[in-house]
Amino acid sequence: MSAKRGAGIARPWLLMVPAVALLLIFLVIPYINIVLMSFRTPGTGTPYGVGFTIDNYLRFFSDSFYLFQVFNTLWIGALTTALCLIIGFPVAWQLARGDMRFRGLAYGLVLSPLLVGIVIRSYGWTILLGNAGLINRTLQALGIIDSPLPLMYNALGITIALVHVFLPFMILPIMAAIQGVDPSLESAARSLGASRFTAFRRIILPLSMPGIQAGCILVFVLSLSAYVTPSLIGGLRVKTMAVTVVDALIDTFQWPWGSALALMLSVTGAVCVLIFARLTRMKWKVARS
Amino acid sequence: MTEVSIERLTKVFGSSRAVDGISLRIADGEFISLLGPSGCGKTTTLKMIAGFEPVSDGAIRFDGSDVVNVPAEKRDIGMVFQNYALFPHMTVAQNLAFGLEMRKVAKPEMEERIARVLDMVQLGGYAERYPNQLSGGQQQRVALARALVIEPRILLLDEPLANLDAKLREEMRVFIRDLQRRVGITTVYVTHDQAEAMTMSDRVVVMFGGRIAQMGAPADIYEKPETLEVAEFVGQVNLIKGRVTSVDAGEAQISTVFGTVAVPDRGIARPNMTATLALRPEALDLAAAGEPGAAGRITARYYSGSLVDFRVALSSGEELHVQTFPNARYSEGDDVTVRAPLDAFWLIGAAQ
Amino acid sequence: MKRPVLTIYCLLVYAFLLAPILVVVGASFNAGNFLTFPPQGLSLRWYVTFFNNEVFMRAIRTSLWLAAVSTVISTIIGTMAAIYYVQHAGKRKELIRIAMLSPLLLPEVLTAISLLFFVYTIGIGTRTIIGLVVGHVLITLPFVFINVSASLESFDSSWDMAARSLGAGRWTRFRRIMLPLIKPGVIGGALFAFIISFDVFTISFMLKGIGMSTLPIQLFDYLRTNFTPEAAAVSTLSIVLTLGVVIVSEKVLGLRIHRF
Repeated sequence: MSAKRGAGIARPWLLMVPAVALLLIFLVIPYINIVLMSFRTPGTGTPYGVGFTIDNYLRFFSDSFYLFQVFNTLWIGALTTALCLIIGFPVAWQLARGDMRFRGLAYGLVLSPLLVGIVIRSYGWTILLGNAGLINRTLQALGIIDSPLPLMYNALGITIALVHVFLPFMILPIMAAIQGVDPSLESAARSLGASRFTAFRRIILPLSMPGIQAGCILVFVLSLSAYVTPSLIGGLRVKTMAVTVVDALIDTFQWPWGSALALMLSVTGAVCVLIFARLTRMKWKVARS
Repeated sequence: MTEVSIERLTKVFGSSRAVDGISLRIADGEFISLLGPSGCGKTTTLKMIAGFEPVSDGAIRFDGSDVVNVPAEKRDIGMVFQNYALFPHMTVAQNLAFGLEMRKVAKPEMEERIARVLDMVQLGGYAERYPNQLSGGQQQRVALARALVIEPRILLLDEPLANLDAKLREEMRVFIRDLQRRVGITTVYVTHDQAEAMTMSDRVVVMFGGRIAQMGAPADIYEKPETLEVAEFVGQVNLIKGRVTSVDAGEAQISTVFGTVAVPDRGIARPNMTATLALRPEALDLAAAGEPGAAGRITARYYSGSLVDFRVALSSGEELHVQTFPNARYSEGDDVTVRAPLDAFWLIGAAQ
Repeated sequence: MKRPVLTIYCLLVYAFLLAPILVVVGASFNAGNFLTFPPQGLSLRWYVTFFNNEVFMRAIRTSLWLAAVSTVISTIIGTMAAIYYVQHAGKRKELIRIAMLSPLLLPEVLTAISLLFFVYTIGIGTRTIIGLVVGHVLITLPFVFINVSASLESFDSSWDMAARSLGAGRWTRFRRIMLPLIKPGVIGGALFAFIISFDVFTISFMLKGIGMSTLPIQLFDYLRTNFTPEAAAVSTLSIVLTLGVVIVSEKVLGLRIHRF
């Protein structure tokens, strides 16, 4: 007697074949390839040479220029993430819980930057932040400042633009998490004598922690690998790691060296994410107990 | 029409046996309820009959032919789901047409059948509504109509009234029962509500732990449950201890606080054993103190409109649950006599 | 108004979110040669310049074509995977989710570089558009997957059982029951995929062939050396295009959702 009869499709795994093939061939194998590439010798006239070496990594660790740049990139990423969280949380809360009539419109406003290309948004910031930009011109016209404020070509400008670019990625997961918290829990806490703030801190905040965590990780990773925004706003003066890596590959064709740089950035980023995840999970547990 | 026969039907999930070798014959046109607590295997059994759950072992026959290897869509069953499972993107008429389209029924006949069945469930004017424009009770009747319009061999209902409010639920019980009688279709009804099973079924199958504990007519199940488990599941029950004085020709004489009771010995009673007898609260009655019967005192009284529940502590130490009509004007603390008709008892167990 | 402080705060954030976009749109109507403030009068001259600029027009066509092709591919692949993920994955669910979202979780720069090296290593390089299309499919796949699986999660399996009990075979159930019910998710996913593909930068930047350009890349190149409002005109048109896609689909979608 055949025991496996009745339910659903005969060979459902066939549904996964195209996706798995795509990811395996065009994501997993290329990633293995780039790890191998980072250990190759530089080529002369070709992108890479024949043998294997660890020189690329030695060069990275012995050159304070690159270490400084990695640090700078991580710092901008962390700052962007923190600012996104501070700016985005109240908005997420308002979207999830606020009893406002224009929630649909507000949701559209949060989503709208995602629908506009990153080049265009960064371009908008160059118009705003440039020495002859809207902000400086306005302030000068009002007589508040004499010479233009240095808003562009520095970490400040990059961070402002990155916060703008990635803010929706912070707001949306937090909003989803808060929406997932049953509003009656808040009412229950209030009925037990908790103030509005205490109810928020003891109930909403811990329960929306997964959303906060997801938003932070997403924003941090995205800002580490952002290329367009730092490139347009930072210009030639301030470079983040992603810009250095891409330029190294496009301009100089040093594949093994570029691979090592890209991997070092990704690995340090991943380590930061892991530490963050561990720390916040501990916080979460404490908050829950 | 169809006779269903189930033989040693078994369903194994990992290491647990959700359905453990049940055998059951359902006559053509019979209304059977599978009754039991959640996890007793009743829904799994229904799903195996429907073909949604693969069978681990055993056989399911429709009119003698094994359908275990027939996929659900070929079994020609009508099924009503707990959440109705109406297709939300189709109107009532489109929902009903779906099964007929699968059977390649010609358009004019299709329309005629849909109209007839909608009339039958009293939803004549609702053909063009979408499910979310209907009340729960109406959705329920559409689900029933959708299952019946294909004129299936068997009708399967999986707790169809569970999502309705109490009043509607009682109306629907009668409605479904009458409809089933009129159509004369073999029906299997799964429920955990004993009142539902009692009202509607020709026979009730009580299940515990994947096995059939007892099956029979509703009155047999209620009045002569074979085990304490069944007795407690289908209603409230009082337990009374007694001493077996004699056993003769399958009948045991048992002496209790209510006097000597004669019950079938069920092959377990021997003279001088301590017997456990059971009887329903509504079989008992209260009388003024000093009347013949068992003396006791009322410890609690619960009024529920059509009935009053009393808790009575007998002077023998036993606690009884008595259900009477509200004209019994006794209050908490009153000394009373509890009377029991001697044929209301049945034997649950006996031990030395 | 309840909680005025919070409301004002949120309005400020929305203004912050919209500011650079509005500035770009506003700048595109500047009559002057440079992005000066206040603008030297209103004019559509930069739109005329841009429409006559074959380089930009070609880039737009490339972007639209690329977005259309990768959307179709990733919608099909992503929908299939989402069906498996929601209905059949069982214990492998978490693994599949992470795998399907991995293009989104991995740094785009690293993915772009890996893919570039890979297409060169296997010999096709950037002479064909295969690498570019694959890159776009990879990047858009998670968006299709997220949207379709979200709508599948609310797909009640008893609908499928009901259709089976009524005699519907596998293909009929997919076509008549599942597809219409998850359509909002599929369309939403495809829409997202299209917009993402239209805007993707790093992947295209690395994998485009010589002499080939998508709109974001053309714009980026232009911005590195030019400061005329033509770029603003290009950007505005691009914004209008995506907005158009969203609004049209919302209208179409809205009608369908309304029915249930």
